[in-house]
Amino acid sequence: MTNSDNAIEIRNLTKEFRISRDGAKTLKDFLVRRHTRAQKHLVLKDISLDIRKGETVGLIGVNGSGKSTLLKLMTQIIYPTSGTVETAGRVTSLLELGAGFHPDFTGRENIYFNASIFGMTRKQIDGRVDKIIEFSELGDAIDEPIRTYSSGMYMRLAFSVAINVDADILLIDEILAVGDQHFQDKCYAKLLELKDYGKTIVIVSHALDQVRALCTRAVWIYKGTLRLDGDPAYVIEAYKKQSAIDHKEEKRVAHENGTEKYKGVVFIDSPADFSHVRKGGELRISGWRIADSDNFDFILSVNGKRLTDISPVERPDVISVYEEEYAGYIEDRAPGFSAAFTPDMAGELSIEAQIVIDGKRIAGKQITVTVE
Amino acid sequence: MLKEIYKYRELLKTNVKKDIRGRYKASVLGVLWSFINPLLQVLVYAIVFPYLMKGAADHYVVYLVTGIIPWTFFQTVVNQSTTCIKSNSGIIKKVYFPRIILPLSAFFSGLINFFISCIIIVIFCLGFGIGISWHLIFLPVIAVTEGLFGLGLGTIFGAIDAYIQDTEYIVNFLLMMAMYGAPVIYETSIFPAGSRIGALIQMNPMTHIMDAYRDIFMDHAIPDMPRIGIVFAVSLVLCIAAAAIFQRMQKGFAEQF
Repeated sequence: MTNSDNAIEIRNLTKEFRISRDGAKTLKDFLVRRHTRAQKHLVLKDISLDIRKGETVGLIGVNGSGKSTLLKLMTQIIYPTSGTVETAGRVTSLLELGAGFHPDFTGRENIYFNASIFGMTRKQIDGRVDKIIEFSELGDAIDEPIRTYSSGMYMRLAFSVAINVDADILLIDEILAVGDQHFQDKCYAKLLELKDYGKTIVIVSHALDQVRALCTRAVWIYKGTLRLDGDPAYVIEAYKKQSAIDHKEEKRVAHENGTEKYKGVVFIDSPADFSHVRKGGELRISGWRIADSDNFDFILSVNGKRLTDISPVERPDVISVYEEEYAGYIEDRAPGFSAAFTPDMAGELSIEAQIVIDGKRIAGKQITVTVE
Repeated sequence: MLKEIYKYRELLKTNVKKDIRGRYKASVLGVLWSFINPLLQVLVYAIVFPYLMKGAADHYVVYLVTGIIPWTFFQTVVNQSTTCIKSNSGIIKKVYFPRIILPLSAFFSGLINFFISCIIIVIFCLGFGIGISWHLIFLPVIAVTEGLFGLGLGTIFGAIDAYIQDTEYIVNFLLMMAMYGAPVIYETSIFPAGSRIGALIQMNPMTHIMDAYRDIFMDHAIPDMPRIGIVFAVSLVLCIAAAAIFQRMQKGFAEQF
């Protein structure tokens, strides 16, 4: 450690993985490997990073960017190919919940197993066991073997131990996917409490809103290098922009090579399917549509007759749901649509909305309303 | 390294506990299996061996019990510490802790199991009229020596096994060889004095361990301490070397699975 204010110091870290075609490692593979040069994959390139005590840092990046590997290197589960990682104090990782749990032992006994993996002594665990049990909300079930637990109970117990072991540094991979909403809220509150308490927290997450809300700093890992480091709002914005560009480019190549087909989603919010409308009144048709192409035709028709006067509608709710899947395609073209139609005779009306690319129907939605 | 082991002593304790109580917890007879197994082996040898070999030893059943139960202890320590890295790959991949705790747990749980099994040896000694004597106070010394020898070997094998999975099969074969290369089920006196095989058997550290057990259980004599001392020294050096090798190799464990 060059600076005593630092909780984690990473210097010129590079990590390579050797890629083996299958998991099996036998003596034969070992002998043969000398002849066939093993393929190497550079996961992290020359990363230097200081994380100060008390900081809450979000590591962001797309899948395969190396952010989870970086987290693993911080826990010393794996070691760098070159460079150094140093940590100050007890490190707890929520990478593996319930490490060392044995199904035939009771919840209480397993608290001891699990907490001891984090390097706690019996005395320290004794002083904390009631708090852990209380947090897990398991009640009397704590003295039952954990093989009788539901998966939710299991995770609750595991999370309670991990978050209550009094670590100085907490490493979390994809938080708050544990238990029901109530328990998740509780975990979130506990994290805020630990944060206020001055613990150092490093979170790897895809949930950018969580990173924005919880973290004081965001670090963006892009293709194995440290791309941007700073205020979460700023870093996340830059990350989103880059992701959109990359995603678009990736899709374009995939579509060109024919490895992937175009896809899209159409929905008609109003009128509702099988609803009744009045003859002569204005019928407003609204909904949204998205597709992974910049050049798609949107066709809205009533009883086979195409409507031409369609106005775009901003739909932030739709964007927030699809911003990852359709990154790069929904930012510039508002996904919502709205059009008016006046039915002039009683009977069935078939309303159809479809997305067409190169003359091919990609997605569609059809509803029927009755005019009376 | 010792400092870290001390820091994680609770993990060592819970691991040993899990090992002893957890292993057979789901089976009907439970922990009893760790005693039934060697006894069944004794039964097989006791029936078959006298036919193969003329003039089997006096109290051959007790001779077998005082050989097979200590041998099972050694075999368990070696086997467990060889496979402990791979069988714990799940937590190794996810959590940091000193990996050396795993073979150490195998050593301690094996030792505790063995001390309990010694009750069976004592029952046999009493039942067959051999009786027991104060010489049993040497038992811990012999057992620890034997355990350390197994721990040293197993720790090296375990580190290799994480990288090359054939190791455990080779170890199984080596253990079988070593068992027939030590007076576990036969007496060394069956080989003529000065024969090459007799000399080879004397080079097996386990031979001296087995002799020491027979000394204290059957002959009510003080074991040959210089010989045990040498085996102890060898085991200790082996353990230190094993720890150094293990420490170097453990950095890559998590990437092997």
